[in-house]
Amino acid sequence: MNKSNMNKSKPSGTLAQIIFTVLTAILVIAGLALTLYSPEQISAAPPSKSDPSQTNSTPQKIVSPAPSKPVTKKQITGAELYSINCNRCHSERYPTERTAAQWKTIMLHMQVRANLPASQARLILKYLQENSGR
Amino acid sequence: MKNNCRLVGLLGATCVVASLSPSRVSAEVSDADFKALQQAVQKLTDEVKGLEQTNALVEQKHEQDMQTIKELQEKLSQTTQTANEAERKSAAASQAQTKPVLGPPIDEATVNHNFMMLGDAEFKYVRVQGQHPTFLQSDFAPIFLYRGGDNVLFEAGFDTTLANNAPSSPGYTTTFNLSFAQLDYVMNDYMTLAVGDLLLPLGTYSQRGAGWLNLIPDDPLAVDALIPGSGVGAQLLGAIPIGTEGKFLNYAVYGANGPSSSDGTGNAGALDLGGNVGVRSDGVVANLHANLSGGARVGIFLPFAPHYDFEFGVSGQSGEWDNQGTHLWSAGVLDAALHLGSSFEAKGEYILTRYGSDDQGEVKQRGYFGQLGYKLAGLNLNAPLINNVELMGRYDDVHDGLGTHTRRFTMGYVYYISSTFLFEGDYEIFRSNDPTVPNNQLIFQLSYGF
Repeated sequence: MNKSNMNKSKPSGTLAQIIFTVLTAILVIAGLALTLYSPEQISAAPPSKSDPSQTNSTPQKIVSPAPSKPVTKKQITGAELYSINCNRCHSERYPTERTAAQWKTIMLHMQVRANLPASQARLILKYLQENSGR
Repeated sequence: MKNNCRLVGLLGATCVVASLSPSRVSAEVSDADFKALQQAVQKLTDEVKGLEQTNALVEQKHEQDMQTIKELQEKLSQTTQTANEAERKSAAASQAQTKPVLGPPIDEATVNHNFMMLGDAEFKYVRVQGQHPTFLQSDFAPIFLYRGGDNVLFEAGFDTTLANNAPSSPGYTTTFNLSFAQLDYVMNDYMTLAVGDLLLPLGTYSQRGAGWLNLIPDDPLAVDALIPGSGVGAQLLGAIPIGTEGKFLNYAVYGANGPSSSDGTGNAGALDLGGNVGVRSDGVVANLHANLSGGARVGIFLPFAPHYDFEFGVSGQSGEWDNQGTHLWSAGVLDAALHLGSSFEAKGEYILTRYGSDDQGEVKQRGYFGQLGYKLAGLNLNAPLINNVELMGRYDDVHDGLGTHTRRFTMGYVYYISSTFLFEGDYEIFRSNDPTVPNNQLIFQLSYGF
């Protein structure tokens, strides 16, 4: 609260700050460099409907189940929209994890929570239902 | 057949006449008889020719009749088959009417999936400097969803935690808090009405900050200290797509009870961000100030490719907070998030608040956080353990406007046991002029999203 407390510092704290700053800088620079200058070679194939065992398996890599090809001028697909929107906040769930009816309820929830356009939510739902578990 | 008999008879008669008029009478045949005979032969010859033609026509007609008969037989066969099939279907239909109709598989019955439970659970180990280490049942947070048709959804989220009753009494208390409960009605493609205890769109963290989504066990200091997470009210929200490549603009406009005074006064320390739900503790229905608060957010989302996107938003809220209605509480928030590939994420929020008070005058608060994450899978190493790790870092800074300034440095990791089962570890360093704030703490957390 008071000025003396506000200005207090310890050598160990200063060292920790320096270490933190350096590590953060390294993290940022390395992350950006690797992301921008290395082609992403992570598999991005959509999960197979015939292989639901993938759904709870431990990932060998943090991969996306939806395609990761660049967006073009064509009409975007539900799979692409799913990959674009859902991965912003959490890892994508495999469509096989839920039934078509469950996806309908979840997508209504996510349309409101993430404030997505209804037209895009419909395309995502169509993709999920077509590839759903049942 | 009749014509054939005539032809044979005529030919026979001709032969008899020819054989019975041989040479022995040739000398006696006059020219007139010969001519008459010749004419008779010629006549018979013509008749034979006519009969032959007639016979050819009859044979042709016979073939046509046979073809017609064949076609009629085929049609009869088809008709019989159709009749048999109709009879079989009729029998099956009558049989079905006497048996119960089988419904769709139970899992596809819509009613079973109108109701769902999602959510997350967290379990922590915390070692705070100067305190004993401890395990924490930090949170079990189910979200219940009930969908009524295509356009109506009720959703409610709860937080269940345990807390000691010590030092005042033994035992422990289970808290079961309603973090939000709202009814959503999708009015059309561009507008949804949400009413209830709303997760307020002041920035995005409050709405998207469930335990397993955080990736860092603690919330940002400024989000917890400066703005309310939820409020009872009504909201209109929606999104407008831009082009066909996934870009969109979204908005939210709402009215809520807003922050209030915990003791009814206008003193700065009495500001209560989380209270004022419309009913007082004595059961009286009342807003704790004269007028409602209003707020809004406008955001834009720009994807460049899957996993490459930028989001930016501006939001704010303002309203009276004291019982007398003499002081305003106002907040403004900038939020941004950047994804560069599936491995790199950066996001942050900047928060400014102002409120008047009886004892401190105008209180100016500000705070921000910036957070980075990098999934080591982006290195493309052939090492499963490393590929499952995401490195995290966050910097927090908050001025409470009353003289306290706190900063926090967080370094940590997330180990993805599965895509929704996370083992997180963080080391946090605090710098604050508040003596109750520890210098550092170590946190390990298991998070599961379901």
